[in-house]
Amino acid sequence: MSTMTDHPSIAARADAPGAPQNPPCGLPVLAVDLVTDPALLGGLADLARGLDKAGVGALTLSDGGLHPIQVAAHLAPLTRAIALLPRTDAVYVEPFHLATQLMSLDHISHGRAGWLLTAETDPAVPATVGRTTLDLAATSREAADVLEASRLVWDSWAEDAVVRDTVSGVYVDASRLQYADFEGETFSVRGPAITPRSPQGLIPVLLADTDRAAAGERVAAELADGRVLDLDVSTGTHLEAASDALATALAGEQGPVVRLVRLVGLDLEADPLGTVTQLAAALRDRGLIAAAPDAGQSLREQMGLPAAAHSNDPARRSDRARLTSKDLA
Amino acid sequence: MSTATPVTGTNAHPIHPAHTPTGQLSFGAFFQGVNSSTIWRLPDSGDQVAWESFEALIRTAERGKFAAFFLGEGLRLREHRGVPFELDVAGRPDAQTLLAALAAITEKIGLVATQNTTYNDPVDLARRLQTLDLLSEGRAGWNIVTTDNAWTGENFRRGGYLDHADRYTHAEAFVEIAQQYWRGESISHDGAHYSVRAQGDLPRSAQGQPVLFQAGASPAGQDFAARTADVIFSPHGTLEAAVEFRRSIAERTVAAGRDANSVKILPGAEVVLAATEEEADEKVRWVRDLQVGPEQAIALLEQYWGRDLSAFDPEGPLPDVEPEVVESGVTRGAGFQFAQAQDLTRQWREEAAQKGQSILEFARVKAGSRRGTFTGSYDAVADRLTEFARLGAIDGLNITPWLIPSGLDDIVDHLIPRLQERGVYPADYAGSTLRENLGLGPR
Repeated sequence: MSTMTDHPSIAARADAPGAPQNPPCGLPVLAVDLVTDPALLGGLADLARGLDKAGVGALTLSDGGLHPIQVAAHLAPLTRAIALLPRTDAVYVEPFHLATQLMSLDHISHGRAGWLLTAETDPAVPATVGRTTLDLAATSREAADVLEASRLVWDSWAEDAVVRDTVSGVYVDASRLQYADFEGETFSVRGPAITPRSPQGLIPVLLADTDRAAAGERVAAELADGRVLDLDVSTGTHLEAASDALATALAGEQGPVVRLVRLVGLDLEADPLGTVTQLAAALRDRGLIAAAPDAGQSLREQMGLPAAAHSNDPARRSDRARLTSKDLA
Repeated sequence: MSTATPVTGTNAHPIHPAHTPTGQLSFGAFFQGVNSSTIWRLPDSGDQVAWESFEALIRTAERGKFAAFFLGEGLRLREHRGVPFELDVAGRPDAQTLLAALAAITEKIGLVATQNTTYNDPVDLARRLQTLDLLSEGRAGWNIVTTDNAWTGENFRRGGYLDHADRYTHAEAFVEIAQQYWRGESISHDGAHYSVRAQGDLPRSAQGQPVLFQAGASPAGQDFAARTADVIFSPHGTLEAAVEFRRSIAERTVAAGRDANSVKILPGAEVVLAATEEEADEKVRWVRDLQVGPEQAIALLEQYWGRDLSAFDPEGPLPDVEPEVVESGVTRGAGFQFAQAQDLTRQWREEAAQKGQSILEFARVKAGSRRGTFTGSYDAVADRLTEFARLGAIDGLNITPWLIPSGLDDIVDHLIPRLQERGVYPADYAGSTLRENLGLGPR
């Protein structure tokens, strides 16, 4: 199995030509939040391209009607470096589909995918899938289960599972696949994934402070890869004041690491690109957010998360049916 | 190989009185990502999951004015004797996520996702399909598939809940809910399988509703397709089979109260071309050799024998042992039913012995016979397809390339220009939506 030292994205990093000038330093990544309102569809591609060129670290896609994962996928081939994080529910969903969709976004974007997890509390949503509304405690437990199941699906193919061995005639080596074998409170998932391991392996999962109450402390403190702090720019942007506010917020933070600073309420009518460019420069001058990402940099790398190597759990290996008990012992 | 002389104009005697041949063909490109049809052993065989492979393939298809780019999907990784199947290509991106991205780099080609009615929620799926339809400005299509096997259900909340006999009533309820959502209606559905409350809240797309595809192979499937689908794509490689299928579908469509011309038939097909007939014969043998190696031939037989056959020589005769009952084999959706296995294996042994075929030769013929292969020189295949079109047997083909991503190159460079010269293939896209490019009316 792959280790940290032979993982290509780490090994190639240090002195390879064209290596990013901005090694991971742990500062939060600047994100702009866009709403997937069908009425905004006409300007979405240009805005995403502009924000990508302006060196913004990430886009978060809030649900405004169009499915956020598909909108993120649509923007992937139009952009080069910006990370794409759909904000989607972890409760009233099929975990296997959700996991597959997110790892597909990671393939399509060459490792720029993230998941801004929410735990739905609107009672209209369970009615759309014929389920009853869970209370807050059960909602949080379900969100934690779906997140854990997703990670097991993401991790079910080793990096090198597709072997294409023309001598033995083997395309995919079953001993490098493993079942998810997740048993949750309300569902189970067998696996393995129907999609090969995605570039990041484990897709970063983040939680906004505003979603914390429903997602619960276990997701917030134990399971998520980090927090999202919001910077509201709906009342106009005073660079100094915004920088001060962010510096104060970051300095006072305890607990989970802030990985993303999300600009919310951006006025799309009033030169959004200019506003964001100025603000990004001001925040970077103060050393408050990470540098602009490079093309080809994964979201994990942007956020300073270590590469996620395949867990290789012998108890889950999917070729065990052909092994003898001696092999497994 | 067809040696028929092409006729001019459409046939004066339609196959079915209610059906009017258009004399025109539309092509779909069917990326399967599974099964032995895709060759992975060649240096030219690209990555099966990389964005670059899909980008190259769809750009070629759009250059060839293909009406649709069609993605298969299976919701559980194929297994063989309890272990993920190792010998064929495996592992695909999620169909709709990929198509949403491909919509950004294409302008006219339709984007069709295979999506399962058993293991999706109708409102969620309808919303995702409409998102795709809006992102692509009216180019989305949905290949409706059903499954009843509990083995696939192990990946989903409800598990294997659906009886085989209920597959199509369930699917029809599902499609009805989706169509209500697309029409922007308030949904209040309480049926045998769902209780759903929802409001369709997205604007209509440029084509109204996504185009509905269905394989339509079994009689029940044909009836379902005749009632519901816009396009049917089960394979029919011979003219006789295609004519018979058109007649059957036209009858069922009329019986369902629909216009016989409102259901298009684009049979699944494999196309193997070369400059001359001799080269094409040689090429199809080469393709078969690469598609089905000795290990795959043994595995194919093991599916039906239900037991380990690795001790048998692929170059030797078919195994002279009886098949075994394997309980789990029935859940695999592979068509294996033990009741038929004894008859089938006996029949195959006799057939192979009569033709003097080895295991390998037999498996290659069997695998190839399922694909509706059109093979020959560029001109011969163009003539043959022209005859199909003018008789009104088919409205086009849904072509599975045997190589990714370059497998459409010779079709686009050599076959399509000949079909255009013969007046049976469009010189350009008729419109911007999938409905327009398939010659379908609005929904």
